[in-house]
Amino acid sequence: MEPEVSIEGSSMIQVAVIPIGTVPPNVLRDYYSMLLPLHTIPLSAISSFYTEHQKSPFAHQPWDSGSLRFKFVLGGATPSPWEDFQSYRKNLAVLGIVHCPSSPDLDAVIDQFSNSCKSYTSSLVDRCFAFYPNDSQLEDGSKRDGNLRLFPPADRSTLEFHLNTMMQEVAASLLMEFEKWVLQAESSGTILKTPLDSQASLSSEEVIKAKKRRLGRAQKTIGDYCLLAGSPVDANAHYSTALELARLTGDYFWYAGALEGSVCALLIDRMGQKDSVLEDEVRYRYNSVILNYKKSQDNTQRVSPITFELEATLKLARFLCRRELAKEVVELLTTAADGAKSLIDASDRLILYIEIARLYGSLGYQRKAAFFSRQVAQLYLQQENRLAAISAMQVLAMTTKAYHVQSRSSISDHSIHNKGIGSNNTDGGKIYHQSVVSLFESQWSTIQMVVLREILLSAVRAGDPLTAWSAAARLLRSYYPLITPAGQNGLANALSNSSERLPPGTRCADPALPFIRLHSFPVHPTQMDIVKRNPAREDWWVGSAPSGPFIYTPFSKGDPNNIKKQELIWIVGEPIQVLVELANPCGFDLRVDSIYLSVHSGNFDAFPVSISLLPNSSKVVTLSGIPTSVGPVTIPGCIVHCFGVITEHLFREVDNLLLGAAQGLVLSDPFRCCGSPKLKNVYVPNISVVPPLPLLISRVVGGDGAIILYEGEIRDVWISLANAGTVPIEQAHISLSGKNQDSVLSYSSETLKSRLPLKPGAEVTFPVTLRAWQVGMADADNTRHSKDGSCPSLLIHYAGPLKTSEDPNGSTVSPGRRLVVPLQICVLQGLSFVKAQLLSMEFPAHVSENLPKLHDENISSAEGHVNSDSKMDRLVKIDPFRGSWGLRFLELELSNPTDVVFEINVSVKLENNSNEDNHLADQDATEYGYPKTRIDRDCSARVLVPLEHFKLPVLDDSFLLKDTQADGIGGGRTASFSEKSSKAELNACIKNLVSRIKVQWHSGRNSSGELNIKDAIQAALQTSVMDVLLPDPLTFGFRLVRNGFESDNPDPVKESDLPESPASKGSVLAHEMTPMVVAVRNNTKDTIQMSLNITCRDVAGENCVDGTKSTVLWTGVLSDITMEIPPLQEINHSFCLHFLVPGEYTLLAAAVIDDANDILRARARATSAAEPIFCRGPPYHLRVLGNT
Amino acid sequence: MATTACFIIVSRNDIPIYEAEVGVAAKREDAAQLHQFILHAALDVVQDLAWTTSAMYLKSVDRFNELVVSVYVTAGHTRFMLLHDSRNDDGIKSFFQEVHELYIKTLLNPLYLPGSRITSSHFDTKVRALARKYL
Repeated sequence: MEPEVSIEGSSMIQVAVIPIGTVPPNVLRDYYSMLLPLHTIPLSAISSFYTEHQKSPFAHQPWDSGSLRFKFVLGGATPSPWEDFQSYRKNLAVLGIVHCPSSPDLDAVIDQFSNSCKSYTSSLVDRCFAFYPNDSQLEDGSKRDGNLRLFPPADRSTLEFHLNTMMQEVAASLLMEFEKWVLQAESSGTILKTPLDSQASLSSEEVIKAKKRRLGRAQKTIGDYCLLAGSPVDANAHYSTALELARLTGDYFWYAGALEGSVCALLIDRMGQKDSVLEDEVRYRYNSVILNYKKSQDNTQRVSPITFELEATLKLARFLCRRELAKEVVELLTTAADGAKSLIDASDRLILYIEIARLYGSLGYQRKAAFFSRQVAQLYLQQENRLAAISAMQVLAMTTKAYHVQSRSSISDHSIHNKGIGSNNTDGGKIYHQSVVSLFESQWSTIQMVVLREILLSAVRAGDPLTAWSAAARLLRSYYPLITPAGQNGLANALSNSSERLPPGTRCADPALPFIRLHSFPVHPTQMDIVKRNPAREDWWVGSAPSGPFIYTPFSKGDPNNIKKQELIWIVGEPIQVLVELANPCGFDLRVDSIYLSVHSGNFDAFPVSISLLPNSSKVVTLSGIPTSVGPVTIPGCIVHCFGVITEHLFREVDNLLLGAAQGLVLSDPFRCCGSPKLKNVYVPNISVVPPLPLLISRVVGGDGAIILYEGEIRDVWISLANAGTVPIEQAHISLSGKNQDSVLSYSSETLKSRLPLKPGAEVTFPVTLRAWQVGMADADNTRHSKDGSCPSLLIHYAGPLKTSEDPNGSTVSPGRRLVVPLQICVLQGLSFVKAQLLSMEFPAHVSENLPKLHDENISSAEGHVNSDSKMDRLVKIDPFRGSWGLRFLELELSNPTDVVFEINVSVKLENNSNEDNHLADQDATEYGYPKTRIDRDCSARVLVPLEHFKLPVLDDSFLLKDTQADGIGGGRTASFSEKSSKAELNACIKNLVSRIKVQWHSGRNSSGELNIKDAIQAALQTSVMDVLLPDPLTFGFRLVRNGFESDNPDPVKESDLPESPASKGSVLAHEMTPMVVAVRNNTKDTIQMSLNITCRDVAGENCVDGTKSTVLWTGVLSDITMEIPPLQEINHSFCLHFLVPGEYTLLAAAVIDDANDILRARARATSAAEPIFCRGPPYHLRVLGNT
Repeated sequence: MATTACFIIVSRNDIPIYEAEVGVAAKREDAAQLHQFILHAALDVVQDLAWTTSAMYLKSVDRFNELVVSVYVTAGHTRFMLLHDSRNDDGIKSFFQEVHELYIKTLLNPLYLPGSRITSSHFDTKVRALARKYL
């Protein structure tokens, strides 16, 4: 069988084109392509070369309209045994092609050509065309006669013209040869045989039959030559005779041949006019042709003319091949396909299938064409050689479109875009169902896999590693769920084997594994937030940042389409990150040599990473890169270097795939089968790159870890800011945000401002003073969770110069940025305060040799004790000789639930009133510390704070008035103050008192803070603040007078320096007169009249001065001593005691005040005016020693 | 019963939504593939033929070697295609009609998305039973 048969084929002169000498293949192809347009030479054009030697047998040759047709066959067709039957199968002419530059010796060329021509026995005209001869060859060749034709070097159009002329000459020669042959055949006749005849035994009957048939066959052959000579009318006449003769002799085979010829003659005659009548005629005659070929089949013969039947069928099909007649053509082609079984020669079957596929293809039946193409490929693959494999591969490549497995490299961009329609409206669900479904059209997975596998097989055999790689990649990527793990491994091996034969860095349009989808675009870390700048305002950042107080705004909610509108701003020179998810749903370890973002806009440098994926696993990978210039950026996918080949993986394709999986249209979701959670569709936002901005980087000096503070702790944190960008910072502003903002006591924004503009690389450090907040009960449970939420943060808005130099028009304002410095404060529970209460205590005083200091403590300390005695000592220790009567302590109970040790330091700040002595003014804020109290872990402790020092020096009536009013005792007496204001003043007074008590704590080396227990103290003090604050109206003191004179030495240092035993210090001897003095001081501003009584009691508490069993004798007055003490003065009263029995005695002074005024009454809380006001001093101890 | 029979339902988008080898012949993988190839190719013929007749049952529309393709086109242009080697026209017609009923029941399922793969095992069982009955 021959390829590309057509009805008109019978009129074509087959010309063998053979290369002579060495002709490079591409050059040969070039020359051949110049020949091809010359397939039709009009008879009118060849008349100049034509000379009529004899009377032409072609009487009706249409010299004006007819033409000769040529079929150029490279290398020539192999001689067919059926040449006699159909003359167009003969190689009627031979054209040699010589490429002179590669074949210098013309003689050798001519020899070679004449040798080659010998194998073409049927050839009537031989010509050798030599292209591009050099001058010597031209000269040499022009001398020669014969078949050589030289084509001088010229441009292509000239060459083509030249070639055309030469072909006209060939055509004329052929025509003359045809005439010669026909004349000869008509006169002498010729023996025409076909393989059908040769098989017949030559019985006498057969010989007679053959003789009868000869004439008809000759007529048929002459008809053939007439057709070849372009004279259909002559041909038709001969064919009619032949038909008649063949019918008579029952020569069905030749009858069919003649009929075929007549149809061809008919068509040539009616060239260009195709009407339905002609079509019916052709159809009718050809059906008859097919029938007669079928009839001629003789099962006894080895050779079957079935190929002629099939060829006839194909010829008719080709003639009818139009969309309207599809049914008929399909019928013919189906019949033809059935004939394949009876074809013995495999190459015949190959040609048959190729022709069927072509015809279906031209009919528009792509799937049918693909089916037969695949049959062709299978036939090629059966041949098991490399060339056949290459053919198979190429044929299969043509089927990929019909089977929807084509390589991406063969799909134009346009169709890719069409395929992506569905990706935009994915949320529509069923509404967009049709468009979604269309994405997965023709998922004939079984046959698609088969086709891809065959492509892979043929490519491997053909030695085309890239095609093999691509087929294996498509197979693996699209059909992994249908492939067993072993098969997947095999494909992986095929991929790596193919890549070994490829040069490194080969790109392939078809991605293999892994599947890559966009995971997310991380928004700018808070350190890099970009804030639109409003140049009109001083606070340019206001209104642009999404930092409103509301977590929820109705406008931010809504369909995810809003997200699509989001703009992402990247900055030149600052690295960005994009998260993608990789999935390997196959059963082998996948090694991705490198993966990076694919950006076509060219203003982005992507950083590759390499990664390996376990079988059936997925991974989220951060891909990063740096924008390099201003402009929009689009990220369609990733470039992946895997299995030795570089491929681009588009996100959109995976999105479509996932969409199809969600609708149940594709086999499997590669991410879900890897256990990755379902991800909402990620939209690629519009990304634009802006010019460089400044970039502040913050750092907490001393470590970026959480700042661990105990409740109430105060600490300075140093924060260092550095400009890591390339643009100076010209504006900066610090503000606070977040919870617990009041825990930031201060921050120094001036430090930052003073350093502006902050040049790139410059650093500034400023302090932030923090005070830890109280950990609430709720917080204590979940400190870890709410840790971030409860921390304040510093918001630093900063911006570079208003106009960037790179901006040509300068109209746009470069945005500013916001740096959020979260102050990672972790507040631990510290000391906890349990309760505060006021205690009163009494310490008996000892009778000393000098008078007790009755002045206020701070006065005495100011008078000279500062240097000699530590303040603390004096404050804490009770002077044993002075005693402390009615001393009040504030007891604070603290517990330490933590696991560290705390030290408590209570300090009291004493404020001196303005009515104090002037020389004390510089000491108006004297602080007194108490010894530290240590509280171990899980312990509690009580801290006593003596409130002695708060006593006012003078019992002032103004103060008391307030007091009485506040207490509600003498409420009606003074109407000058309103209740309210006095109450407020009292409260202020208490507050003042409380504020002077500071309870500070230390823990470890550098944790310190203050307990905030003012409220508790205030509550504890509320009821008895008067007792704390106000002095008694009278104070009493006892003193020994030694050796008859008063020891008036006020310096206790000397006393303490005496080498006396402390026991003897305030002691007296029994049986001796002991002179003593009692000092009474008036603390009020009025003169007080009173009567003083002095009593002495022994250890048992018995009065030992009066009574029958008195053990103490006395001189002087001890009772009812009437005295009048001027205001703020002291009066001494002397007396002597004589102790009879050694031991401990207690001296008590008491006084009844006569005519007490309101102040005294109020102070004593007298209920009625008649009640005597009674004052009592503290008890004084006296030790009496024996005589020994 | 037919020795070879491959039944396939092709949605209007040319996607096979149901496939079953219902013949009694021993299953061979390459044969099954060939069946699909033939049926796929026959779609080209069906696509033209379906509009030339008002009948749903198109009889045999295509053949390759001994294998014949019979097609039944529903109103929604879903195509039931049967590849067979027997010539039991009436049986095939009844088979198609009963399968059509089954298919309509499937379509009525609100959870079934028209045009997607039919995965119901009940449908599969019924179709195979029908094939045993009629083919």
